Amino acid sequence: MRRLLALWQKEWIALSRDIHGLAVLFVMPAVFIVVMSLALSDVFRDGGGRGAEFAVLPADGGAQLAERLAGDGFRAVDPPASEAAARDGVRRGHPALVVVVNSVTPPSFRLLADPGLPATQLAAFQQRIFGVVLADAFGFDLKRAAALEVEVVGNPRGGRPSSVQQNVPAWLIFGMFFVVMPISSLFIVERREGTLARLVSQKVPFSLLLLGRVGPYCVVNLAQAALMLLAGVTLVPWLGGEALVLPARGDLLAAVALSTSLAAIAWGLLVAVCARTMEQATVIGGVGNILAAAIGGIMVPRFVMPENMQTLADASPMAWALDGFHAVMLRQGGAADIAVPCLKLLVLAAALLGAALWVHHRRRA
Amino acid sequence: MGLSVEGLSFRYPGRDEPVLDKMSLDIPDGGVFGLLGPNGAGKTTLISVLAGQLRGASGRVRIAGRVGLVPQDYAFYSMLTARENLRFFAAVQGLGGAQLGRRVEAVAAFSRIEGVLARRAGQLSGGLKRRLNLAIGLLTEPEVLLLDEPTAGVDPQSRAFLLESIRSLARPGRTIVYTSHYMEEVQEICDRVAIMDAGRVLASGTLAELLATAGSEPPPPSRWQRNLEQLFMQLTSRSLRD
Repeated sequence: MRRLLALWQKEWIALSRDIHGLAVLFVMPAVFIVVMSLALSDVFRDGGGRGAEFAVLPADGGAQLAERLAGDGFRAVDPPASEAAARDGVRRGHPALVVVVNSVTPPSFRLLADPGLPATQLAAFQQRIFGVVLADAFGFDLKRAAALEVEVVGNPRGGRPSSVQQNVPAWLIFGMFFVVMPISSLFIVERREGTLARLVSQKVPFSLLLLGRVGPYCVVNLAQAALMLLAGVTLVPWLGGEALVLPARGDLLAAVALSTSLAAIAWGLLVAVCARTMEQATVIGGVGNILAAAIGGIMVPRFVMPENMQTLADASPMAWALDGFHAVMLRQGGAADIAVPCLKLLVLAAALLGAALWVHHRRRA
Repeated sequence: MGLSVEGLSFRYPGRDEPVLDKMSLDIPDGGVFGLLGPNGAGKTTLISVLAGQLRGASGRVRIAGRVGLVPQDYAFYSMLTARENLRFFAAVQGLGGAQLGRRVEAVAAFSRIEGVLARRAGQLSGGLKRRLNLAIGLLTEPEVLLLDEPTAGVDPQSRAFLLESIRSLARPGRTIVYTSHYMEEVQEICDRVAIMDAGRVLASGTLAELLATAGSEPPPPSRWQRNLEQLFMQLTSRSLRD
């Protein structure tokens, strides 16, 4: 334990004196959070962005509903002749939305939606049907209206995040994974300057040398998490964006952050062991992070991706981390909701650490 | 016997030629043993195998006691201060508490770096870096101390100090293995010498014994350095190595 503490202390001192490396870890995600939250705020805002055409079927009796639904960019158009015609129209995007009313008592509704319609538009329109127009126009109480079954044609999606809810965890995860840079650069310097060889000659097990990085970088990652959440709560609204609302379960948030951190650190250790030069580490670590971010819904939210890209996104560890953060921050989920993403991240961390040890032993053999 | 090597062979992965080729060497307990050889002779590889840095060597190695290493590189953390480096390397080798503090002070005093303990290692002069490198190797009071060109790149004052210090470390129960390119260093501090090339020991013995092999009888000590150099060139040839 004494040796591990000494390694942690050494790493901590070396890291704390690497001002540029620390700046990358803290300033970069903060800038991304602010810029992207503000830039995308309209895209994520319900009812915002470009408008969409809609119709109500059947025409007779639906006119009043169509009138009530119109507004905030949603424009009512003449209804198609039949449901089949409505489906064809929706498939072509004209109109983008058709509300099919089944006039039994109580009435039921199905919403036919253009698959190419931005998910935020679809969500906004659903909200209009449920939250305001139905209750107002037909005198249903909200509780009853919310229980109505609505069929969404296309791919029904739920739980979509707002801009700040998407961007704070997304860029936080991106920043956390960038510990790959200081981990690999300090490791390569150790190897180049003979320090690593000296430690090996002093019978310090290589596994202990790797574990000697975990503690300090976990602290760095958790500090990143705390500061980036704080930026979402204070800095983004101060600059005119939407404020981040923190979840009630801080412990679950910490569990997701810790799992993400361990996966990020293990990735950094594998890059450090595999890369022979600083340039290699920069390319492997940096490009790997950017690819994982692009695929995993960090740069572009997954719910606006086409279906095949959404499937591909499931392979990115950053997507797992984002699922975990969203489960806590967006859906106010419990331990069971974060179990799968956290487990995926921890298994990945163990696998990457094992791979790093294997590569090292293979090279020494 | 302080250290004994028998039939030691080592080949780097992907290389055809062995760097150490069935090498055998006996180094008696106590005193300073010099390893001479041109670039690529296998000196550093031998030191690395003895220190446990390289695996996969075949043959037998017997070492009496703990091994301390002073590598050719400045193998410490330039971002840490000299004191932080000493404390770190002491702690990872199992020292703690008051003992750690005592050893740090002792090796710092021995290497005369007490005055720069608070300075970052990367900002020290070449001579001070070499002394810090030596101090780290002495933290655990090793019975076998392996020094790989410990005076490379230092000024004459620092070199004289280092040689004097290393010489003073030799005592019964502590064996010092010293590699160098400099004949005068070997002549000054080594009790016994081995000349190696291409992974093999070409000659080994006291200086007088070695020089006697070159001529009918050993020359006077004033001519040892020149004669040692002549012997070295005679055994390893004049061809450039790198």
